[in-house]
Amino acid sequence: MSTPAFVQALYDSGIAVWMRDSLKAMPLIEATHVLAIATVFGTILIVDLRLLGVAGTGRPYSVVAREMLGKTWTAFVLAVITGALMVAPNAITYYGNTAFRLKLLALVLAGLNMVIFQLLTARTMPTWDTSAKTPTAARTAAIISLVLWTAIIFLGRWIGFTKGYDFSVPEDVQFEFPQ
Amino acid sequence: MNTQTRSASRRIVAAIAALAAVPAVVVAHHSFSLYNNEVTKVFTGVVTRVNPDANHLQIFFAPMNAERTNVERGPDGKPIIWAVEMAGSAQAATQGVSVNNFPAGTIFSVGMHPLRSGELAGAREGNLFKCPAKKPPTAGKHCDAVEGNTKHGEGALAPAKP
Repeated sequence: MSTPAFVQALYDSGIAVWMRDSLKAMPLIEATHVLAIATVFGTILIVDLRLLGVAGTGRPYSVVAREMLGKTWTAFVLAVITGALMVAPNAITYYGNTAFRLKLLALVLAGLNMVIFQLLTARTMPTWDTSAKTPTAARTAAIISLVLWTAIIFLGRWIGFTKGYDFSVPEDVQFEFPQ
Repeated sequence: MNTQTRSASRRIVAAIAALAAVPAVVVAHHSFSLYNNEVTKVFTGVVTRVNPDANHLQIFFAPMNAERTNVERGPDGKPIIWAVEMAGSAQAATQGVSVNNFPAGTIFSVGMHPLRSGELAGAREGNLFKCPAKKPPTAGKHCDAVEGNTKHGEGALAPAKP
């Protein structure tokens, strides 16, 4: 598989070399990434359970969303930064990893789900904001969100068990040494 | 902050604690029992790539033949590729084992405990020696016998144990 220039550039970058060679960077960055993802998932879970009418039904959806989603975005930005720092030192391997690609796809789909919810379903929020039972579209968005974010966590762990083993033979390596 | 918000916050903290605990459980995906510690294979080979994984750096290489004039090849004529796994990339870098120091084509020698499964990989044992560029050892020798070699770690090359 050929490596795109931007992946190679990321792999060769100073930050990637620093991440590869630092004894402390990866454990600290990885732990921060886990905490950020846990915060993203935890706050989204609260909002989605309210949309599903399972929890927090005594409070308007708008209040729950306002309290949680600020924390979600802060943690998400932190997760993206730490995730990029984890990918950079081994970008070539990540690029070819199916679980990593599926995780990125799930992230995009989760974003699309949120955009569609905000553009369409949330416009009618004043009519169901205080109701325990929300519209089908809202509940559907919540289920899709929970499925996608759960998949993102599973795929994130899956990457660690599937990346790296490439026994292919490069073409531009000298294997013969006549003496 | 009202009671419900406090309750929600407590649940978030509990969820974070639960999720943070998961990697500690599942990270034990490498067990030393995978490797046959009774056997040590010693190779001199040509690097094909390095996977600088944070948990276990792996060097993929084509073992050289006994004459050190070519690499071992399969029935299809293609080089046979092995992998040697060691500590994480940062720990390996402290010994000078890194992507930049071991580019494809590097000739090096290493001992390893092979996988019990028979797959062509093993866990590094002992020191690792790098030959000078494009200068393989003489027949039957390893890089520790080549003048100008570099040593990556403490001690000698692991002795072979069949």
